[in-house]
Amino acid sequence: MRLFIRQAKALVKLSFVELWRRNDVFALLVLAVALMVPLSLSSPFGAAGASRYLDEAAILLIWGFSLVIALGTGSRLFPPEFESRTIYPLLAKPISRGALLLGKYAGAVAASWSALLLFYALFAGSVLLRGGSFSSELAQGVVLHMAFVALAVAVSLAGSLVTTPSANLAISGIALVSMFFFGRRLPEYADAVSAPLSWLVDLAYAVGPHAEFFDMRQRLIHGWGAVDAAVFFAVLLYAAFYVASLLGFAALALKRKRL
Amino acid sequence: MNRIAVMAAGCAIAAAAVAVAVVSVSAGRLPQVVKGGGALSVAFADAKTTISSAMVHKADSYFHGGIDMECNECHGHDHDHAAEHDHGAEHDHAGEHGHGHFEGGEALDPWRWINRHVRAPEKHVHLDGKESVEMMPWFWAAVRADPHNVDAWTTAWYVAYKMMKDHALAQRVLDEAKERNPDSLEIAFTEARFTYDGGKGDSAATERILENALSMADRKCGGRFSELSERDAETCRRMREYLADIRKPSAAR
Repeated sequence: MRLFIRQAKALVKLSFVELWRRNDVFALLVLAVALMVPLSLSSPFGAAGASRYLDEAAILLIWGFSLVIALGTGSRLFPPEFESRTIYPLLAKPISRGALLLGKYAGAVAASWSALLLFYALFAGSVLLRGGSFSSELAQGVVLHMAFVALAVAVSLAGSLVTTPSANLAISGIALVSMFFFGRRLPEYADAVSAPLSWLVDLAYAVGPHAEFFDMRQRLIHGWGAVDAAVFFAVLLYAAFYVASLLGFAALALKRKRL
Repeated sequence: MNRIAVMAAGCAIAAAAVAVAVVSVSAGRLPQVVKGGGALSVAFADAKTTISSAMVHKADSYFHGGIDMECNECHGHDHDHAAEHDHGAEHDHAGEHGHGHFEGGEALDPWRWINRHVRAPEKHVHLDGKESVEMMPWFWAAVRADPHNVDAWTTAWYVAYKMMKDHALAQRVLDEAKERNPDSLEIAFTEARFTYDGGKGDSAATERILENALSMADRKCGGRFSELSERDAETCRRMREYLADIRKPSAAR
C-alpha cells in the first residue's frame, strides 16, 4: 500500500509539472483576459449596472477552458508513452498497469483541478472587485465543476487507449459538449424522430456522459441558491460511478494492449 | 508541423483580405451585399438573424430570472407567458415542484429528476425595475448582430422606458433604432407612443410622427395598402387607431 501511494504520488507530481510546464493554462488566461477586459469596459446603450452578462461570459469561458485542459491532459497520459516507448522502463519500475493507470489519472485530475481552481479564484476576484458577493451555491458549483473535470479526464483517458489521439479528442469533445448543451432535451428529440434513430437517441440519453448535471451556471449568475443536498450527492455519485466504469474499461483496454 | 501552421494562417489571412477587398471595391455592384453591414453581412447573412434571435431569447430568459422558457425541464409549470411580461411578480413554486421527491415519470428517469432540480430554481422571480438593466446587454448584442431586428429594438425600448423608467436610456435606444431602421413603421409607432407618453400628451408632435409614418407606408406600397406585409398593415391599423384616439377631445378619450 505504501509503495502504491509512493508511486501514485510520483505520477501525480509528474502530471502537475507537465501541465504547468506546457504553459497551456497561461495561454488560456491571456485569452480570457483579452476577451473579458473589452467586455467589462463596454456599456451597452450607455446603460450602467449590468453585470450578469459578464459573469455568464466568464463562467462559460471557465467551462470551455477547463474542458480543453481536462481533455488535453487526459488524452496525453498514455499515447506519448507508447510512441516514445517510455512505457517499458515505466512498467519495469516495477509498477502494475492498474497502479500506473490510477496514478496517471489522479495526477491528470489534480493538475486539471489546480487550473480550474485558479480560474475560479480569478473569477471570484473579478466579482468581488465589481462589488458583488457569493453565497453557498458557489461552493457547490465549484465542487460539481471539479466532478465534471474528473469525468472529462476519465472520458479522454479511456478514449486514448482505444482510438488515435485526434479521433479521441474529437469524439470526447463532441460527446461532452453535446451532452452539456442538449443532454436534457434528448428525450424530446427521441420523441420527435422515428424508430431506429429514436433508439439511438434513447441509448445516448441512458449511457452518455451527462455533462449538464454539473452545470450550475444559471444558479450562480441569477442567485437561485444551492441545490438540495440529495440532488448534489446524487450528481457526485453519478460522477463517481461513471468515472469508475470508465477507469475499469481503460484498465481492461490497457491490460489487453500489446506493448 | 510549424511550417504547415504558418502556411495555413497565411492562407486564412490572405483569403480574409481578398474577401474584404472584393466587398469594399465592388459593394455597389453586388446585389447580395447588404450595404453598411460590412464583411459580416456577406459571410453570415442568415446566421446574423439567428444569432440576433438567440440573443433576444437570452434576454427573455434573463427576464424570467435565468429560466429558459422553451426548456420543459427548466420550469415545471404552465405559464401565461404574455401576461407575465406586464408584472414583476414572484411565485413560489416549491410546492408545485414536489421538491426532493420523484414526480410522475421521474421514478423511471432519474436523469430527468436530477436535471429538474439542478436546472430549475425553487422560485420563479422576474426582473423588474432597475434590475432589468441586466437584459440590456443581450438586446445590444442582438441589434449589433442584426440591426434590422425591430423586435429587439422595440423590446429594448420597452425595458428601458416601462420597466427601468429610464427615459434617457429609452431615448438613446430609440434614436439608434431610427438611425438604423429609418423605414420601419413599428419604430416610428414606438417613437409616437414615446413622444405622447413621455411628452405628457404632446399630441401635435405625436400626430406629426404618425402622419409621417403613414405617408411612409403609403410610399412603400404605392398607395395600395393591401400590398403591405401583414406586419406593416397591422402597424398601420394600430397607428390609425392611435391617431384617432389622440385627436379625440380629452373628455371623450
